[in-house]
Amino acid sequence: MKKLAIGLYAAITVALLGWAFYQAIYVAPEEQTMHEAQRIFYYHVPSAMVAFLFFAVSLAGSIGFLAFRRNRAEWAQISDAWALAGAEVGVVFCTVVLITGPIWGRRAWGIWWTWDARLTTTLVLWLIYVSYLLLRRFAAGPQVQTLAAVLGIFGALDVPIVYMSNRWWRTQHPAPVFGGGPDSGIKDPAMLAAFGWNVLAWLAWGLLILALRYHVERQQQKLAAREAQAALDA
Amino acid sequence: MDQRAILDHQFTVAAYAITWAIQLGYLAWLALKWRAQKRSAASSRLNPR
Repeated sequence: MKKLAIGLYAAITVALLGWAFYQAIYVAPEEQTMHEAQRIFYYHVPSAMVAFLFFAVSLAGSIGFLAFRRNRAEWAQISDAWALAGAEVGVVFCTVVLITGPIWGRRAWGIWWTWDARLTTTLVLWLIYVSYLLLRRFAAGPQVQTLAAVLGIFGALDVPIVYMSNRWWRTQHPAPVFGGGPDSGIKDPAMLAAFGWNVLAWLAWGLLILALRYHVERQQQKLAAREAQAALDA
Repeated sequence: MDQRAILDHQFTVAAYAITWAIQLGYLAWLALKWRAQKRSAASSRLNPR
């Protein structure tokens, strides 16, 4: 029954991704100043939104781990698995943002990169979470999970700075599409629909791989615990 | 189709293709990790210390 539900969810996600792609490429009208290159927006912005959401999952997991590590070992391990899964899948989406952004920027601005506030803070966010993953991968010892949780909490502090950066400092990056004042927002209903479908599709995809990453990490924790117990018993 | 439109199209295709390459590449890596883990779990059950 569980497998059927997962298979159904995966099928719906794939269908959503196909529909969202169709909306972005064939249904949404061409923007007047950036022309076809503006369609990168339909992948770039939803990826950023999903990355932010998953860094928030990582933050919640990190806080949960620190809160439960002394008195509820099982809950602490579950929290830690969510923290790792959120950080890793968040980095995947943030990588998409950092690659599609410069491709779009090259056509829109004529440059691949500039040390603009939004771009720089996003790069710093990516570097913090890559360092989190490297810490998890290469450090050893009983304190690794605790150190990673602390780093995960500090890393998440950059998320609101990235979000507010193009409100606080007006530089190269465009003004906020949503919540940026009376002139912000997508005016064309077909563009708004294409954007909405892409947000939904990438969120569904992200949740699928987040759940898979969480499952793999929980299995890894259980395997490690079994092996440690076997070593103690021997 | 003029030169600008061709370049716009190429950049859009590149952005979409790279997005899919990253996402599917990560999914493939995750699937391989999961498979290796399953094998490891099966062998540890077969050969308890």
